[in-house]
Amino acid sequence: MRRFSWFNATSLTLGFAFLYLPMVILVIYSFNASKLVTVWAGFSTRWYVELFQDQEFLDAAWVTVRVAVFSSTIATVLGTMAASVLVRAGRFRGRTLFSGMIYAPLVMPEVITGLSLLLLFIGIGLDRGIFTIVLAHTTFSMCYVSVVVSSRLATFDRSLEEAALDLGCSPFQAFRLVTLPIIAPAVISGWLLAFTLSLDDLVIASFTTGPSATTLPIKIFSAVRLGVSPQINALSTIMIAIVAVGVITASLITKRAAVTQARDEQAAVRATG
Amino acid sequence: MSQTVFAPWENPEEKPLIEFRNVTKRFGSFTAIDDLSLDIYAREFFALLGPSGCGKTTMMRMLAGFENATEGQILLSGQNIGPIPPNRRAVNMMFQSYALFPHLSVWENIAFGLKRESKDKEAISARVEEMLRLTRLTKFAKRKPHQISGGQRQRVALARSLAKAPKLLLLDEPLGALDRKLREETQFELMDIQEKTGTTFVIVTHDQEEAMTVASRVAVMDEGKLIQVATPDVIYEAPNSVYVADFIGDVNLIEGRGTTEGERIRLDWAEGQPPIWATPRGPVDTDRALTFAIRPEKVSIAKDKPEDRRNLLEGEVIDIAYLGNISTYHVKIAGGQIIKAQTANTRRLANRDITWEDRVWLSFTETSGVLLEH
Amino acid sequence: MRRLVLIAVPYIWLLALFLVPFIIVLKISLSDIALAIPPYTPTLDLSGGWSAIRDFFGALDFENFVFLTTDDLYWRAYLSSLRIAAISTLITLAIGYPIAYAMARSAPEWRPTLLMLVILPFWTSFLIRVYSWMGILSSEGVLNQFLIGIGLIDTPLQILSTNIAVYIGIVYTYLPFMILPIYATLEKMDESLLEAAEDLGCSRLSAFWLVTIPLSKGGIIAGCFLVFIPAIGEFVIPSLLGGSDTLMIGKVLWEEFFSNRDWPVASAVAIVLLLILIVPIVLFQRNEQKAREAEG
Repeated sequence: MRRFSWFNATSLTLGFAFLYLPMVILVIYSFNASKLVTVWAGFSTRWYVELFQDQEFLDAAWVTVRVAVFSSTIATVLGTMAASVLVRAGRFRGRTLFSGMIYAPLVMPEVITGLSLLLLFIGIGLDRGIFTIVLAHTTFSMCYVSVVVSSRLATFDRSLEEAALDLGCSPFQAFRLVTLPIIAPAVISGWLLAFTLSLDDLVIASFTTGPSATTLPIKIFSAVRLGVSPQINALSTIMIAIVAVGVITASLITKRAAVTQARDEQAAVRATG
Repeated sequence: MSQTVFAPWENPEEKPLIEFRNVTKRFGSFTAIDDLSLDIYAREFFALLGPSGCGKTTMMRMLAGFENATEGQILLSGQNIGPIPPNRRAVNMMFQSYALFPHLSVWENIAFGLKRESKDKEAISARVEEMLRLTRLTKFAKRKPHQISGGQRQRVALARSLAKAPKLLLLDEPLGALDRKLREETQFELMDIQEKTGTTFVIVTHDQEEAMTVASRVAVMDEGKLIQVATPDVIYEAPNSVYVADFIGDVNLIEGRGTTEGERIRLDWAEGQPPIWATPRGPVDTDRALTFAIRPEKVSIAKDKPEDRRNLLEGEVIDIAYLGNISTYHVKIAGGQIIKAQTANTRRLANRDITWEDRVWLSFTETSGVLLEH
Repeated sequence: MRRLVLIAVPYIWLLALFLVPFIIVLKISLSDIALAIPPYTPTLDLSGGWSAIRDFFGALDFENFVFLTTDDLYWRAYLSSLRIAAISTLITLAIGYPIAYAMARSAPEWRPTLLMLVILPFWTSFLIRVYSWMGILSSEGVLNQFLIGIGLIDTPLQILSTNIAVYIGIVYTYLPFMILPIYATLEKMDESLLEAAEDLGCSRLSAFWLVTIPLSKGGIIAGCFLVFIPAIGEFVIPSLLGGSDTLMIGKVLWEEFFSNRDWPVASAVAIVLLLILIVPIVLFQRNEQKAREAEG
């Protein structure tokens, strides 16, 4: 590029170094043999072994995964419904309140969301545990899902649905056979977003959980409050690796799909007739 | 000698397939369709023509069931279709955007409507194959919509909407997305398919040439009202209003005051100029201001004054548009008005004898133009 | 009918789990602390009829809000949160803008990869990203070892448990929020505008100042709000990276609730925090709306 100068190259290098170096250091030190996290004492995988022998961590991980799967799935259903209400339902009484309730949790500080849900659960005498965390996570992540899905629905060509109706579909069939398959990528990314938000959440889970359920972030937080812990480094490395593999695979798949599509379109133009 | 002309609208015995009865459609305070009545007959290729926003698309969407009439009724084969949802109507639509399902193959797109009403796989398959043959798409059955060209997509959309053998097929600007050459080819293809299948077609278009080419009758619309409903030749040769004359093709309009003299009308259009004589096709109210409308190709142009013509206008050539097969001369006549005259270029350009700034004579017969009331 | 179900299900969910809890917070913020379960008074007993409801409302007051103004811990915490959020936002802008600019000026085939590299940290755990700095900034951490190693300092710098560590944490975790909207506006910008400006006599620098910056204003404002708004209520960053003297309101609320168990005051703190947040949120909304209108 004409305007790509040494200045731009430097900002990119420094910028990405800033974004990635801390995680790289974290990964390196997870293989440190020494318990003193800052003194390099040779390569070792002992922290990984210890991590997998620590039943509390394994339990917390299992709780976290269950919460994330349940809450993101319910949130995807509710969020997709909310998105189609926002984009499609037109005017109805209470619409302003509805869209307000969709957007407010996105900017609401987590401490307030957590506090208010805890007060509700105490108020109605609900036992706190996995179930209440699922309720809490579903509530805020359905808002993220509905934002993702509604931006896709807003650009959705309505004549596709009309064509389905015209060809004899009931409105529900039209949604299931035409709309859903086409907006599926947005719904899937909404689910993934909800899933990561749930995996990641410390504050809301801390408020809404009870003694019976400890999630991984709560466990990590209490472990690192007092300082760096090599086990947590190992755990972090595993989590970073999962995300990196997942995101890179996903982007390769989309890229390949885009390339195939572009090639098909060119072929179609050439082979007119 | 009697080959029966297809003209069910002239037969009072014939029952119309579609009847619009005093239909009004409002969107909030905006009136899209204003107290409109119209009959369309079976096997017609009917064109709704007008500028954007004239209400033609609204009429089509009311037929498909995506909009409901605010007042009045729409009957299909004598039955009020108002309460019937779009998926229960024996009406199919070909969308302007084609609305092909991107996640389904050509074959599955065409089979989509059939699968909704029948479980018989054999019958569906046979019908899809038939449609693929009709639209010459057999080779592309397995492709996805993004893997075929624009013209092929158009044919898939047509095949999909015809597959259920609807009583009525609606086509919303079906050729708008195609380039000019492909559009002309496809117009004839459409007419051919309409004739083969015997389906009633209602087409919405803003392209007057397209409407004239394909339609058995054309309805010219403006601001939610029908201005004229007639066969293409009548619309062109005998427009009923300045609006229609101006909308369809090129036209010269000369305003003036008329007086009846026997069978003819004398139109005085400018001080000190010879009047224009016209033979009207029906009674004309001479108390009102009149406009004489004449097509450029019906105006002859000559350097020497023709002696045998009754209507003569003298002027100066100010512009010549050379279009290859024809040339259009822009002639300024007394009073400053520009009249267009068209001649076929049967001779080579170099031999043309009329050029810029020449004094010329324009002439036309008494029956070649029409008188329109305001 | 179908439409009604479609609206009702998410609507009722949000009413029950977003609006009602919020009203409870509001109500408790007007109550008094009590040694009871739940630890506040009054509680509404509907079986008492009208007089109970009247008594209930009569017992509500703004005492907790008055208390917030008398104890300077709270208003210092609010001010300190605003200041920390504002300073971090400006640092994030200073670091994020050049990155976004360089991305927008890079070769088009590189942009998707660069974009993915910016988004990737989003998907990794926020907690882990904050935690990763603890090992770097601590007094025997990687940074101090490095600085001592190259002979720049003799004694380790105390960075962890100070406000500087909090700034670093906020900048680090929210940097993608700044880069993405600025990149989006810069990427759309027509490069011939810069050529036109230079053709009309601008130097490169003044072309940047007079053309690029004004055209990316929408992205800058959006990015700043996207960092500023969540930074105010931040809890994890100050509690892991900040020191005991780092005052941020999210932390105060947490401690008020879990350590002091003073629910009414915690609720009042939450209500005031929301009132403070409304201003930037409304400004942000207006900016977004303007951007949408400009796009037509």
